[in-house]
Amino acid sequence: MAALPRRIIKETQRLMQEPVPGISAVPSESNARYFHVIVTGPEDSPFEGGLFKLELFLPEDYPMSAPKVRFITKIYHPNIDRLGRICLDILKDKWSPALQIRTVLLSIQALLSAPNPDDPLANDVAELWKVNESEAIRNAKDWTRRYAMDN
Amino acid sequence: MEQFESLLTCCVCLDRYRNPKLLPCQHSFCMEPCMDGLVDYVRRQVKCPECRAEHRIPYQGVQGFPTNVTLQRFLELHVQISGELPDPTAGQVMERCNVCSEKAYCAPCAHCDKKVCDDCKSAHMEVLRREITRINNQIRRGVHRLQDILGIVERNTSNLQTNCAAVSGEVDEIHKRLAKALKDRTDFLRNEIDRYLATELRNLTHLKDNLELELSNIQSNCDVADKYMNDDVEWEDTELVDTKEIFLKTVEFLRNFDYEAGDYNRRIRFIMTHDPNQLVMHVASYGELNITNPAHTSGYGGSSLQPSQGLTRSKSDHRLATQFRQQEETKSYYDNDEPILGGRKFGERRPPPPEKPTREYGATDDYSGYESEHRPSRRFRSRFVRSHQQDNDSDTEQATRNIKSEHKEKEKEKVTDTEDATRGPLSGIFRLSDCPRVMQRMLDVDSGKKKEKKEPPPPPKPVQPTPPTQRRPPPARQQSEDDEISRLKRQNKATSSQEPERAAQRAVEEERNSITRKPPTPAREASSDGESDESLGTLQRNQRKNTTTATKTPVPTPRRPSATETPTSHRVPARAASTESSASTESSGSAVKHTGGDRTTPATTNGTVSGAQRIQSRFIGSQRPTPAPAPAEPAQEDSDSSSEEETDSSEESEEEPAPPRKPESQAMARTDIGPLLARSNNARTDAQDNKNKDSPAQPRYRTRPQPAEEETPRYGNSASSYSNRYGSKPKEEEPTSSFDDETKYPTARSRYLALKERRNRLARSKSSHSGFGAGDDDDQDEPVSPTTASPSAYLAARYGSGTGGSELSRSRSSHALKSRESSPERPVAGEKDGAALSSWARYLKSKYGSRGKDRDTSGTSSSASRRLSLGLPLRSANELASSDDDSKNAAGSPISPTAATAAVAGFAAAGSSPRSQYLQKRRLQFSVGSRGSEPGYFTWPRGIAVGPDNTMVVADSSNHRVQVFDSNGIFVKEFGQYGSSEGEFDCLAGVAVNRIGQYIIADRYNHRIQVFDPAGRFLRSFGNQGTGDGKFNYPWGITTDALGFIYVCDKENHRVQVFQSDGTFVGKFGSFGSKLGQLEHPHYIAVSNTNRVLVSDSNNHRIQVFDVNGRVLSSFGEEGSEDGQFKFPRGVAVDDQGYIVVADSGNNRIQIFHPDGSFLRAFGSWGSSDGEFKGLEGIAVMSNGNIIVCDRENHRVQVF
Repeated sequence: MAALPRRIIKETQRLMQEPVPGISAVPSESNARYFHVIVTGPEDSPFEGGLFKLELFLPEDYPMSAPKVRFITKIYHPNIDRLGRICLDILKDKWSPALQIRTVLLSIQALLSAPNPDDPLANDVAELWKVNESEAIRNAKDWTRRYAMDN
Repeated sequence: MEQFESLLTCCVCLDRYRNPKLLPCQHSFCMEPCMDGLVDYVRRQVKCPECRAEHRIPYQGVQGFPTNVTLQRFLELHVQISGELPDPTAGQVMERCNVCSEKAYCAPCAHCDKKVCDDCKSAHMEVLRREITRINNQIRRGVHRLQDILGIVERNTSNLQTNCAAVSGEVDEIHKRLAKALKDRTDFLRNEIDRYLATELRNLTHLKDNLELELSNIQSNCDVADKYMNDDVEWEDTELVDTKEIFLKTVEFLRNFDYEAGDYNRRIRFIMTHDPNQLVMHVASYGELNITNPAHTSGYGGSSLQPSQGLTRSKSDHRLATQFRQQEETKSYYDNDEPILGGRKFGERRPPPPEKPTREYGATDDYSGYESEHRPSRRFRSRFVRSHQQDNDSDTEQATRNIKSEHKEKEKEKVTDTEDATRGPLSGIFRLSDCPRVMQRMLDVDSGKKKEKKEPPPPPKPVQPTPPTQRRPPPARQQSEDDEISRLKRQNKATSSQEPERAAQRAVEEERNSITRKPPTPAREASSDGESDESLGTLQRNQRKNTTTATKTPVPTPRRPSATETPTSHRVPARAASTESSASTESSGSAVKHTGGDRTTPATTNGTVSGAQRIQSRFIGSQRPTPAPAPAEPAQEDSDSSSEEETDSSEESEEEPAPPRKPESQAMARTDIGPLLARSNNARTDAQDNKNKDSPAQPRYRTRPQPAEEETPRYGNSASSYSNRYGSKPKEEEPTSSFDDETKYPTARSRYLALKERRNRLARSKSSHSGFGAGDDDDQDEPVSPTTASPSAYLAARYGSGTGGSELSRSRSSHALKSRESSPERPVAGEKDGAALSSWARYLKSKYGSRGKDRDTSGTSSSASRRLSLGLPLRSANELASSDDDSKNAAGSPISPTAATAAVAGFAAAGSSPRSQYLQKRRLQFSVGSRGSEPGYFTWPRGIAVGPDNTMVVADSSNHRVQVFDSNGIFVKEFGQYGSSEGEFDCLAGVAVNRIGQYIIADRYNHRIQVFDPAGRFLRSFGNQGTGDGKFNYPWGITTDALGFIYVCDKENHRVQVFQSDGTFVGKFGSFGSKLGQLEHPHYIAVSNTNRVLVSDSNNHRIQVFDVNGRVLSSFGEEGSEDGQFKFPRGVAVDDQGYIVVADSGNNRIQIFHPDGSFLRAFGSWGSSDGEFKGLEGIAVMSNGNIIVCDRENHRVQVF
């Protein structure tokens, strides 16, 4: 396998040296393109207090194509489905090579604080969120407590 | 600054902008690969990563976007400010990687020889690194080889030095000794001449006076007779009768008196024992250095060194390599030489493809050669197989190379001043840390300037492949290599942080022009070739020397005893030695021994210089009998000078002439007649002392009434002393004795005595010759005895006649002497002398541990003395003669003068007393032991020996121990038990006690010899089973001689082996067979004190007599049960007078033989009663004449 592109190395180093508050991304020992990510639930959100695990993989043509990111921890969020897939524009068509791992993760963290039920991935959640936001938020808190706080 | 930096960073590659292109949206991105990657080829658009604005791509592609010149200026500015290195890829063009086909900045890879991208290259480098690590491990595992060799070389160096120092010390020592010997001898000879002159003069004047007196007397008588013996005068009858008688006497006198004109015409002559030329030659080439491996030894101060190259140059491979290396260097690198790395500098890029086929300077693929499976092996091989390779190279590649000569030439200059300077001289491997590139790498690592650089730990080699990866040197930068090097050096100097570096650097600077340094063996510098070679050689030489000495020793050593003992036997009665003399002798003796051991030559030289006689016996051999006495002549003169001695001796008529001898012995020691002589002399003197003590205790010999009794001892002693000291030194005594004797005894008698003495001396000297010098000459004895004897006898006669009235008799006696050979004589043994001598022998025995042999010596001397005593009553010339024949006569055999060997003569002298003693033997005195394992009991006792104070030492074979009894058969001690460790036995057979009381045991089934101290504590053992030298196959009988040499019957090897007392193999003789000199199952062995070696050749049913060199002297006995025949004879012993006692095992009897081997008597028969035997084994004779024998099947020791 070819060596890591200089950009990935630089990004990784920077992630280590200047970690983003509330986010930790550690490359896997076996694969430098695979990161173990933990995102803390943002304040004033139903996910506050939770630690959410994600996985992030940099594809071969990164940075020309977007990294692949997925929640591992179950989360009650209209833009995140049961499998942890994330509906986020910059991970799709809005990807730009100028984005980086940290920006992606920050976007994800931001997504937690600002769910967007209008562009849902988990339709039931999005529905509830639109219909009964408070219950949805309660559910989210419940899930957070249940899945993101134990460990 | 950080922001500034981020402004200069492309947001796509996150690196410094490289050729930034400005998009219409005013965002800039690197042209490659960032902008490239943004291109949407389908829509021919590019989407700005920052603002997502989409821009049409110009016709020429992304290159058509304008370059952001402002940004570029900033970049340059930043570089200047921050000192950041310029972008290595600047100006490069991306290509398709030849390995992964990706587009990238490609660079040639030394590993695969293609242009590859960084990724692939780093992968390749990774492979290389792993391989290097692997190989490095191999090297580490193998490097101990070199370390070992280095150790050996160092050891060899020190060995060489010590060896040389030792040898030169030896040479110095020898030089000193030679010079001293020469000077001493010269002084001595001069003195002798003076003395001789004085004596002769005195004698002549005396004779002249006498003659004149006689003449005048007779004249007056005649006148008186003429005048008055007529009728004129009245004479009484008685008067007339008397007158007549007187006249008759006168007539008789006139008739008989016969002055031998020749006598005093005889001139003293100076005879060199050796041809002077030869002697000079000997001295001139008195030693040579024996270098086993010839070669150029620079430091070796040898006189006869050949400057051949081989000295130390073993063919070991590294040496070969060295040679080839030297060749290489002389040949320069042009032709067929394959320098490591193909002559490139370390880390140097290989030249462009066209040059590739070469393997030399700048050969491109040499790098790969470093690790490719094939190449590294070649490199390592180069050390060992270089020559071969060279050939190949030259054959195959010469042509190509020649083409490139100019290129090479250019390279060569650089080569000399960089890493080639530090090449290992043997392998051509240079120190990696010495090459600039490696230095730089290490510097980088250490200074941490380049953090990304992670070198693998094994310092030198792994570093090397890294450069391309980390730091891709742009070709541009490499243009001036020299500059770089110097820069590096400067850097290094500045840093000097690291030891290796510094060393390396130093190496670079200092040793630029030398070739030496090589990591594994730094010590081995240029000189190391020679030196190591040398030292190696030394080692070899040492080894070889050992072997050579070993091989040589047998030759010289046996001689040594002979040399030593020659005097010994002569010197028997040597007087109480002054301590100094003993001291000096000792020292000289030891010295000689030393040198003798080391080299043969010194011994030789010694001999040449010092003792004429000894030399003769040793080298010239008895074949030249005449010279022997001649040299002695001068020596004899000194005796004259010792007139005081003589008077002394005369005064103390009866006892041994103790005082008189003393000065002489000293003189001997001093004169350096030969350290060996001196040594033996010393021994003798000791012996003498003892003898003096002992002699009174020996009434047996004394009691015999003899007319000449009083004289005898003196003469005998003096004679023996002379003979002992110096075989042919009769002269000294003579004058004195004759003078002295005149007064007391009839002159004639005294003269005869003297003559006899002399004869004895001669005989003895002869015997000693035969005994010791025998090694060199074959027929030593026969010719010697007459010739040797006669001149000395003659001399004796001459000198003896010095006294006034004795002329007549003297002359006669001398005649007699001359004719002596033919005249048979059967003198009655004068026992007194024998007594004295035997007492000496007794001393010997008690002191040295009595073995039968000891007696022989004394026997000889005693015989001599006996003969002397015999001579006393005899007046006729006839009587004087044939002392040689005594023994034969005694045995009743017809006289065969020629056949009578000196040795035999010595033995022959055996007086009647021992004979009668032996004749009486038959009664058992007592017996010791019976079957059992308690102390004092035996189980198949075998060997037996007599120890100090007549202790009986018995090899209690199947009890695996040695038992010691006192002379009365009282148990004293035991030692040993079953086993094969030290001090343990397995069916020991032979025992012997040497002169210092050590027990020497033939440990039969362990096939070794063990030595115990007098207290029975283990000292050492030597030998193991085998047939080689120093190995045994069931060693059986064992004995030692006065010098401590150990003789072992190596039974199943059918031979006798001789060892020094420390177990060093000296020689061997005998082989399987029944011919003379061959042996079949030799069982027991004895050495007489005349150094005749008696071996019971059991399966040949005979006793063989050898000299100490293993030459057969005689043999007697054959199978049978008659007198003098044997059936499997076993034990053999010889007493101090040479009588031989044989345990005739198969006939169950003990036989006693005269010294010449003729039968004397036998006694004993089969049975278990007293005096009966069942299977005899060892036998020994005590100094008091008691015979002790191991009666094996009766498990007892019987004493007769």
